[in-house]
Amino acid sequence: MVKSSPHGSQARNFTGERTNRGPVSVAAALLLHLKVSFKIFLMARRLIIALFAAGSICITSISGMADSSLQPRFETDIRPILKAHCFDCHGEGEKLSGGVDLRLRHFMIETKTDDGMVVVPEKPDSSVIVKVIESGEMPKKQKSLSTNEMALIRAWIATGALTVAEEPHELPKGFLITEQERGYWAFQAIVRPPVPAWTKTEGVRTSIDVFVLQKLREQHLDFAAEADKLALIRRVYFDLLGLPPPPEEVDAFLADGSPDAYERLVDRVLEMPEYGERWGRHWLDTAGYSDSNGYAEADSVRAHAWRYRDYVIRAMNTDKPWNDFIIEQMAGDELAGVTQENAVAKAADSRVRELLVATDFLRMGPDGTGDDVPDQNVARNQTIAETLKIVSSSLLGLSIGCAQCHDHRYDPISQVDYYRMRSIFEPALDWKNWRNPAQQLVSLYTADDRKKADVIEADARKIDEAAGQMRKEFLEKVFEKELSKLPEEIRESAKAARNTAGGKRTPEQVALLKKYPSADVQGALDLYDPESNKKVLAKQDEATKLRATKPPEPFLMALTERSGKVPETFLFNRGDHEQPKQKVEPGELQILQSAAAGAGLSFSKKDTGLESSGRRLIYAKWLVSGRHPLTARVLVNRFWLNHFGCGLVNSPGEFGKQGERPTHPELLDWLASEFMANGWKLKPLHRLIMTSAVYRQSSHNDASLRADPDNRFYGRMKLQRFDAETLRDSILAVSGKLNKEKFGPALPIARDDAGRVLTGEQKTNGNGDPTIVEPIGERAFRRSIYVESRRSLPLTVLEAFDEPVMSPNCAIRQASTVAPQSLMMLNDTFIAQQAQYFAEKLQAENPGDVRSQLNKAWRLVYGTAPKEGEVLTSLVYLAEQGEQIRARIAPTTVKNEAKKSEKPSTVSQDPQTLALASLCQALISANRFIYIE
Amino acid sequence: MKPFCSRRHFLKASSFSLSSLALACLLRDEGLLAAPIKPPLGPQKFDLSPKVPPLVPTAKAMISLFMMGGPSHIDLFDPKPGMAKYDGQPFPGDIKYDNAAEASSKVFASPFKFDKRGQCGTELSELLPHLAEIVDEITLIRSMKTGVNNHLESLLALNSGTFRGGQPSLGSWLGYALGSETRDLPAYVAMTDPRGLPQFASQHWTSGWLPSIYQGTQVRAKEPRILNLDPSDHLLGAAQARQLQFIQGLNQEHLTEHSGELDLEARIASYELAARMQVSAKEALDISKETEATRKLYGIDVEATRDYGTRCLIARRLVERGVRFVQVLNVGQSWDHHGGLIKALPNSCNAVDKPAAALVKDLKTLGLLDTTVVHWGGEMGRLPVLQNDTGREKVGRDHNTHGFSMWLAGGGFKRGYAHGETDEWGHKAVKDVVNHYDYHATLLRLFGFEHDKLTYQRNGQELSLTGKQNARVVQELIA
Repeated sequence: MVKSSPHGSQARNFTGERTNRGPVSVAAALLLHLKVSFKIFLMARRLIIALFAAGSICITSISGMADSSLQPRFETDIRPILKAHCFDCHGEGEKLSGGVDLRLRHFMIETKTDDGMVVVPEKPDSSVIVKVIESGEMPKKQKSLSTNEMALIRAWIATGALTVAEEPHELPKGFLITEQERGYWAFQAIVRPPVPAWTKTEGVRTSIDVFVLQKLREQHLDFAAEADKLALIRRVYFDLLGLPPPPEEVDAFLADGSPDAYERLVDRVLEMPEYGERWGRHWLDTAGYSDSNGYAEADSVRAHAWRYRDYVIRAMNTDKPWNDFIIEQMAGDELAGVTQENAVAKAADSRVRELLVATDFLRMGPDGTGDDVPDQNVARNQTIAETLKIVSSSLLGLSIGCAQCHDHRYDPISQVDYYRMRSIFEPALDWKNWRNPAQQLVSLYTADDRKKADVIEADARKIDEAAGQMRKEFLEKVFEKELSKLPEEIRESAKAARNTAGGKRTPEQVALLKKYPSADVQGALDLYDPESNKKVLAKQDEATKLRATKPPEPFLMALTERSGKVPETFLFNRGDHEQPKQKVEPGELQILQSAAAGAGLSFSKKDTGLESSGRRLIYAKWLVSGRHPLTARVLVNRFWLNHFGCGLVNSPGEFGKQGERPTHPELLDWLASEFMANGWKLKPLHRLIMTSAVYRQSSHNDASLRADPDNRFYGRMKLQRFDAETLRDSILAVSGKLNKEKFGPALPIARDDAGRVLTGEQKTNGNGDPTIVEPIGERAFRRSIYVESRRSLPLTVLEAFDEPVMSPNCAIRQASTVAPQSLMMLNDTFIAQQAQYFAEKLQAENPGDVRSQLNKAWRLVYGTAPKEGEVLTSLVYLAEQGEQIRARIAPTTVKNEAKKSEKPSTVSQDPQTLALASLCQALISANRFIYIE
Repeated sequence: MKPFCSRRHFLKASSFSLSSLALACLLRDEGLLAAPIKPPLGPQKFDLSPKVPPLVPTAKAMISLFMMGGPSHIDLFDPKPGMAKYDGQPFPGDIKYDNAAEASSKVFASPFKFDKRGQCGTELSELLPHLAEIVDEITLIRSMKTGVNNHLESLLALNSGTFRGGQPSLGSWLGYALGSETRDLPAYVAMTDPRGLPQFASQHWTSGWLPSIYQGTQVRAKEPRILNLDPSDHLLGAAQARQLQFIQGLNQEHLTEHSGELDLEARIASYELAARMQVSAKEALDISKETEATRKLYGIDVEATRDYGTRCLIARRLVERGVRFVQVLNVGQSWDHHGGLIKALPNSCNAVDKPAAALVKDLKTLGLLDTTVVHWGGEMGRLPVLQNDTGREKVGRDHNTHGFSMWLAGGGFKRGYAHGETDEWGHKAVKDVVNHYDYHATLLRLFGFEHDKLTYQRNGQELSLTGKQNARVVQELIA
């Protein structure tokens, strides 16, 4: 018998899906006087559950509730819990443990165990499922269910174990996608929603505004007034370039009274080359860009990754359509007809080089296979897994990693799905024919350079051989000596044993060497005879020096396949590569395939004419075909997030059930379809968003601030803290030191004695510890995107302001507010040094004219001249501070030796300059600089 | 957490600003929520405000005296009198050597004398006379195991939960879980040796993929003691105070234009806090006001123990002031006695034995031992056979992670208790084995957490200190 409630449609849901109305219960009465909104409603439900859990209200009060919409249902409330915790053994796994299948309600009320029926409707205490879950007996060897989940199951049974709809009689074995799962918002095809009729007013400038305003009005809120022009130009500069507007630009914009002055400003700034450095950085976060290999302890340098960084910056600046951008990154090699075999020859062509570099997107994950790792095969498979994580979180907005070992616990993604997806990448990431980071490189040598190098290499090899011979002879001598220490009678047999290869020794020989382990001289000359070892090393060094005379060899890093070789992909039991099971063919996740508008992904017609498998090319084209339900949504959501500091789905890497639901689903779809209709170009989308009334709002709106502090309804422009790069780059910009040189190898970083990581060359101190940082001059003042980003060695200034750790990528940045940031702004050597440069520049431009210096300082940092009151306060400050400093740096002051060496030699020791520098430092430390309006 | 959790705050907040965290707070206030608050997906604000653990804790703070290099348990904690008669004879079992050139199969019985100590009668080596005085306060684990024969992997296992690099260290987990009891000092302090950094340097105090606010703050033995604590000389003192006042003037004016913006208020507070930290950290590191008796207790009056004693005393001062986790580190891997053990081991012991015992005594006197875990141990022990067989003066022992010892005191660990056994050679832990993850599960339990429920969400995964290892709380260690 299936019970089904007449009210059982939309509104009932304890876990947070599509619930948008409904009265709340007595238990949540304290919340009643508040506006009943989406979240409150959910919380009311959760509260009831919690009270249930605490036993504060009895079951009858639930069943006696006026609105049966509060009764949990199997499909929507209970199945997701059981799927997460139980289906592995009770329904979707290979074996059906104890014959108990939890996938349907009627299975449960029909299944009898030794202890009774699995579920007895209305009688939770007689239901075995409640007993085993609440006692912690189940799930076995796993985390218990939460108290809320337990209470929900109890409540479900107590209220009659209802379902939404009639259940089928039987289910096919194994993984199954339910109607409810198919109905999940993110798996629906993107359909352009109609825009309600509107006319252009100051409050509504674009279609975006109509969507936003509608929701905002529902909250009884309205847009804030338009921001003033100063706020707007600063917003546009920081948003698009990550740099402050120069004072002249501000003046020109403020003076421009034409009605389209703002639109022209946006257009102008979009064409500046610094734009790519800012928006390229956003994509590099998503792609997990790093200049080191990660995974292994060594975190070795990934010396050629910078070409990919440059590729991304250029793609942004030229507004490369994102469908092309994605295809190139996923399959540039296939697009160029390149395989491992012909890569070097084809790379002579500059377009091919660009396409190959684009594939570094699939080389961004941590890859320890070139370093000392405990298990090479584990490392290889881990690299593949991390790469899939980057692809899925960046382009699908799904975390699929858990399906590597078992069906996804929350989303309808099976383990087979995971390996289907892996199969798309396996021809390029073939763990049985692996290429480690060094082997992934493609030489860009010219034929001439190659010849020269070959000659040098031949000579160097001769030296190597000589060194090898020396070593061998020394080792023999060592062995003779070790042998002489043994009792004479066993020397012969010891010699025979040592000269027998490890695996071929007789048990007697093994035993003998075990007794005299030091006689087993096979290597480790450095330990036996350091002096001789030094001679060998000296010889080897000759070869190294000779090799250094070769013409420098440029490389690019690329992802390619071997011509005609397509490895088979197997599902790994529990994700263990040593337990392969059935063979899997490449394919799209089942849920996405069925959600596709029109035909989905098909690998069947492999008529690409390629020597490679073509899988990635086919897959990439499918992702950007316009029919994929996720790719465009995920991209525009991220663009929106980067403009507003908050996504329409504020879990940009997770659109699945564990992520957030969209606050404005229609707007998201409208933007996605608009983006696709505009040829996947980002700059038109920037224009659209930035010219909207939403974007042009001021950050002042008390009603919005009070009612919606997180600004999820966009009733103002939320203040946004500088991210790490914007902070460092903007400080360099105002100090006048910013070096705008573009592109090229990463700037070196090094650790100093106090543990700071700075730009500079690493040198060692007397003890051989790497604690000295050798300055690299003006190069050090390039934008942060050009600074080497090692996973294990973040630049101190950037780290303090939440530069992400790429492991493997970063979906969304944090914006912490902690005291060490303040200590850094006050005392860090980089900040202090820049403040000093800033002060000296001000003095040089307006010597002796302190008022003009202050005026310029304010204009550089805040975009506007100081008020008279601020000038006066500053003048007093400079006078007082000048006196303080004069007293402190009087020649009698005893300097702490240790401390002196820590601080950079200040360029000037003039108290007035130092006082002005301390004021400059204060200006750049203040909130008015660090937060964008 | 307190201010955030008040009912008034909850009711004052508007409907759609309420996060599930706010609800969780309400439920907790109502006593309805037992589980720790799980950080949800999306952008999160992390802080160091003190947090209440879900279970009743016995420990609130921890001082780890980490002996990098691997002290020889066979010579310090784990007597094997049966080995004496095999001294110099071939070892009958299987041994994995790291250094073939110096490898020898000869049994190396400890040349040091063991005796029963304290009321509990736990046997300790003559090299640790001061530990003998507090042996009734400690739990000695003789069956530790990590099972990998190298320093780094074993260090990572003991300090960050697994052999893999890039994971958060223990102190970061505690900071994440419990926040800090002090707003004026870092929650997690790593005190380095004046002679230099420990081997693998900042890996000891990394926050891995936890937010960087949970990273350990390195306190150096010489200036600058804490990074960014002091400005350049010319701004020291009143000049910096004046500068800070100027910044806050700018900030206050900005705030009046943006009243109600919590982020701005928070940053203003963070500048205040920074200033307090400057004063508090200096005060905490300054031991000049400690009594002569205290300095004597820690051995600060004697050259051999001056440095380590000073750092132990500072560690106590930090914990007293609310710091959650302090780790005291030695230079390089100075307990790595591959050779010259007979002289070097007593020297190493000499430098730390008295200060370590003093720390336990002092904490007890101050009533802090009950809530403060003191840990003494390295990342491994050493082999029962000798290494570098080139004369009695030069011999040492190679690595052994299959069985070694460490001790714990306070915070809910048993007193006067010795746990577990290694085999008759001290090579492998055989009875009541405590793996690194069991140790961590036990520690977290003392701090009020179930190890598998203290998790951090990352890339859709719930990660924990003990990970997927089969960890268990070792109840026998708990008082």
